[in-house]
Amino acid sequence: MTSRDVHDVLNLPSDHSGAPRPSKKQKTSAPRPNLKGLAREVQNLGGDNPIAIVPEVNFFKKRRFATRKPVAKWELKAFTNSARGDDGALVLRHWKRRTDDGAPPVEGAQDGDGQQQRGGGEGTPASERREEKPEDSAFAKYNVKVVVPHYTEDQYHSNLQNNDWTKEETDYLLELAKDFDLRWTLIWDRYDFTPKPPGGGGDAANGEDTSTAVVPAPKQRSMEDLKARYYEVAAKMMAVQKPAQYMTRPEFELYEMMQNFDPEQERKRKQFALNTLSRSKDEAREEESLLLEVKRILARTERFNEERRELYNRLDYPATDSDINSFKTSAGLQNLLQTLMSTDKNKKRKSIMPGEGVSPSNNSGVPNSAVSETNPANRRESIAASATSNNHHHHARRDSDARTPATPADPTPTSAAAAAANKKKGGGAQQQPERRKLTQQEEQVYGVSYHDRLGSGPTFRYEKINKLYSHKSGQQQLRITNALSELDLPPRLVMPTAAVTAQFEVLWGAVTALVDLRKMSDRLDGEIKIEEAKKAERDRAKGIAAEKEGGKEKGEGGGGGGGDGAAAAAGEGEKAGEKTGEGGQTKEDGEKKRPGSSGSLTAAGHKRSASVLSAASDKSSKRQKK
Amino acid sequence: MAQQPLPSSVQPTDVYGGDEVSAIVLDPGYINTRAGFAGEEMPKQVLPSFYGHITSSNRDVFGDQAMYPRADFEIRNYMNRDSVVEDWDAATKIWEHALVNRLGIPRPTPPSKNGLNNKPKPAAEGEDVEMADEADLDETENYEKPMAENPLLMTEAAWNSPKQREKAIEICMENWACPAFWLSKTPVLAAFAAGKATALVLDVGGSNTSVTAIFDGMVLKRSVQRSPVGGVWLSSQIRSLFEASEPKVEVVPTFMVENKKPVEAGQPADARLKTFDFQISPSFRAYEEERVLKEFKESVVEVWRGPGRYLAPGNEDYAKNLPGRVFEMPDGSNQMWREQRFKAAEGMWDDNAAFPSATEEGKITKAQTVPGLIKAALDSIDVDVRPALLANVVVTGSTSLLPGFTDRLNHELTAMFPSVKVKLHAAGLSSERRFGAWIGGSILGSLGTFHQMWISRKEYEENGPGIVEKRCK
Ligand SMILES: Nc1ncnc2c1ncn2[C@@H]1O[C@H](COP(=O)(O)OP(=O)(O)OP(=O)(O)O)[C@@H](O)[C@H]1O
Ligand SMILES: [Mg+2]
Repeated sequence: MTSRDVHDVLNLPSDHSGAPRPSKKQKTSAPRPNLKGLAREVQNLGGDNPIAIVPEVNFFKKRRFATRKPVAKWELKAFTNSARGDDGALVLRHWKRRTDDGAPPVEGAQDGDGQQQRGGGEGTPASERREEKPEDSAFAKYNVKVVVPHYTEDQYHSNLQNNDWTKEETDYLLELAKDFDLRWTLIWDRYDFTPKPPGGGGDAANGEDTSTAVVPAPKQRSMEDLKARYYEVAAKMMAVQKPAQYMTRPEFELYEMMQNFDPEQERKRKQFALNTLSRSKDEAREEESLLLEVKRILARTERFNEERRELYNRLDYPATDSDINSFKTSAGLQNLLQTLMSTDKNKKRKSIMPGEGVSPSNNSGVPNSAVSETNPANRRESIAASATSNNHHHHARRDSDARTPATPADPTPTSAAAAAANKKKGGGAQQQPERRKLTQQEEQVYGVSYHDRLGSGPTFRYEKINKLYSHKSGQQQLRITNALSELDLPPRLVMPTAAVTAQFEVLWGAVTALVDLRKMSDRLDGEIKIEEAKKAERDRAKGIAAEKEGGKEKGEGGGGGGGDGAAAAAGEGEKAGEKTGEGGQTKEDGEKKRPGSSGSLTAAGHKRSASVLSAASDKSSKRQKK
Repeated sequence: MAQQPLPSSVQPTDVYGGDEVSAIVLDPGYINTRAGFAGEEMPKQVLPSFYGHITSSNRDVFGDQAMYPRADFEIRNYMNRDSVVEDWDAATKIWEHALVNRLGIPRPTPPSKNGLNNKPKPAAEGEDVEMADEADLDETENYEKPMAENPLLMTEAAWNSPKQREKAIEICMENWACPAFWLSKTPVLAAFAAGKATALVLDVGGSNTSVTAIFDGMVLKRSVQRSPVGGVWLSSQIRSLFEASEPKVEVVPTFMVENKKPVEAGQPADARLKTFDFQISPSFRAYEEERVLKEFKESVVEVWRGPGRYLAPGNEDYAKNLPGRVFEMPDGSNQMWREQRFKAAEGMWDDNAAFPSATEEGKITKAQTVPGLIKAALDSIDVDVRPALLANVVVTGSTSLLPGFTDRLNHELTAMFPSVKVKLHAAGLSSERRFGAWIGGSILGSLGTFHQMWISRKEYEENGPGIVEKRCK
């Protein structure tokens, strides 16, 4: 069969229909002589494009013959394992490739040597033994052990005494911790301490212990108990060896962690874990979705808070010390406007009217050339930013500084400022993580503390307190000073160190809170009085008998004189009510606890300290006012 | 080796953690005793823990080949139903038989004396093999130190007693003069075989089913739970099934059948039974019957896969419509088994479904079922490790090869712990399931880092057998 036949059978067009013979003969003449039978047929199938037959060459064999390396020799070699710590008493044998010089690897030899010398108490010289000594296992280096704290008898007695733990049991615990490499699951699993009967061991060392103690029954220790004790011992021994202030950072962290171990919390956590384990599938799914929801809500509030804080920051402006009463009237305001305008004009600035933005919408509309309004997410930011820029103007106007704007046109500086603010914000956010946060310990060590921004020039710490005062109304200031004097504190601190002022601020906050509460309760009181008076009035209108009873009731409920006073002043309104409330309260104070006092009065009673502190002064001040 | 060998200085011995020292691993179980060299993937020798005792001559014979009907022949087991060695003399002999005679541990004696060259072994005709074995046995007693070159790693049940452990090291050191010894618990090794250091191991073996928590390569003692619900118990359930079926199914062991004729399904057998001119002891017959039952277990019994128990409404009807399986007894009688094949094994999971047992030990409680054991084991250990254990449940033991076993286990566990990730590790190869503990021992014994653990001869001599309690924790 030739290729032609194949072409015929497959109906393929023959491309050399004219004179195929000679060319074919030419081609096939060369390979033909050495092809026979099937091979020839196969060759013919290829026709005019003969199949390429690549002779298979096995290079592996050749190369192997070429190198003629000797067969690798293996030998059954003895070895020891220095990690066993038995001075090579156990000699095992494994197959090893023989090395040419027969010298064992260097590191192994050294390791083995060290072991040998440490343990070797025999007379044989080390050099002599080296030849016969089997090599050390390559795996010996993986032997690592945990370090558990050690203590001497004295150290135990001076540092580690514990009512719940005997020394024997502590020893046992540490032994286990070492044996099980601090794997607490295992330690707890194998923990089985049976105290020795005290009769047998009459040691001098723990004689006092055993004489007082009754034979302790083996205690059922939970894993938390074991951990707590171990960490206690470990932390204390750590501190004994190296006082806390000299510890390195990781050491101190470890120390603190061990010191703060709270078995109770751990127990609770496990209880929670147990509960989670026994959840059903639905519960698990529900919890998961709830958690997601919470996360989302938290994220949202976080963002909201962030934005709000920012807004406040921008709206915040330094309080002036000067009297603002003159601006309280419309005429005063007009005056102010006039002066501002004139200063503005003096500085060749444009009229503030457009910049001031009588309508805020105008304001936010102006700067949008720079701040991308297109992004709705940015909108809020841009508003906030323009608010700041607005603020800038205020600044500029108020302190009549020679501040020259970049361009006289108003909208441009506004937007520029907004952009700047934006940039600043971005930059701040980027810079924030770069500065390393100090831990509390480091702050202590380096004496770092944080302050509010300070103005230029010297400031005194007590000024801060003074500032706090100045925010309060005169009446409240008085109350606060009274409260402080009650506590034997001078209104001005004698030694205002940072710590003292901080503490004072806390105290001050508490006092103001008290005063505020007092005010609230007074007002409530007054309102109650008024309502009661009204009720009495109504009762009286109803009839004589009712009137009498009502009077009695009132007397009981509101507290004698105060009630009467209230009744008298019923029409006078709130201020009067407040006053009567005070009256009632002073009475109340005098009589301490009366059974019939109303709810708010009891509340006032609880806040008595505040009322006592300021009641008298209050009254006097009221009168003065009147 | 197609690759060019690396120069020895860069040979990655410390990357590949193996370092073989021709240690021997011996894993005795109630049904089978397995022995072989550490580093190999299968035990070379698996022989029954049952052995024959010829009362007339007071001889013991070992190995499957020796178990054929003969006069004054009893079958015994050197282990008890707790999978703990009971008869130490027999144990020593059977182990020596396995290790020295059959494993062919290289002996230090010259070849002229070891009998291998001059005694050609005849073909597997029972009597002769047994003779050879016994002859070998005699010879081993002559060797002073049959295993002086091979460290021995032995396995034990997790509940083995200190006394038993001391006895084991004594035999190893005194009788065989091993250079080193180690004793490891079967669940730990089974976990190693699955590549886990922390795992919950469910071992469904012959006489026991046990659940053990392994943490970092050590048994958590509080977690050890076991019950008799294993292969032997399953056999007794099958007997009850045979009793209960209509007509009763008789178990005729193979050795009693002379010849048989094929019969229709459900028809009585048509077979001629052998007669023996000596008494067949009940223990031998029971042993032979057990073989039939084992075959039945392997080919017919199936575990109801769940979800839900077999007794749950509807399931039984469904099972009835599944294709059945035909089982032919050695005497030729045969029968189709349908839903019964699920019933036989259901008792492992659901105590209500178990066939009532005649004997006291055959009765089981809810706590003894597989789910009960797992629950009890997990309840007794620290909460923090439970999820880790449930994510690594290792299934081993030959009875776990029942089809559907792992499916059912998975369903039971996910139903029990719906919110925890449960992952089963059941070897796909049946040999890995059958020899789980041995394979773990083989891995452990060939690890380079393990060599520091061995109890050496010297340590034994200095401390006495008590050292095994101190070291093998
Ligand atoms: N394919 C199989 N299907 C079901 N059961 C089987 C199968 N193969 C073996 N068995 C059963 O498994 C049991 C033997 O299990 P295994 O070899 O794990 O026990 P063992 O380790 O010797 O005993 P133990 O662990 O209780 O001391 C026997 O009862 C046997 O009938
Ligand atoms: Mg087993």
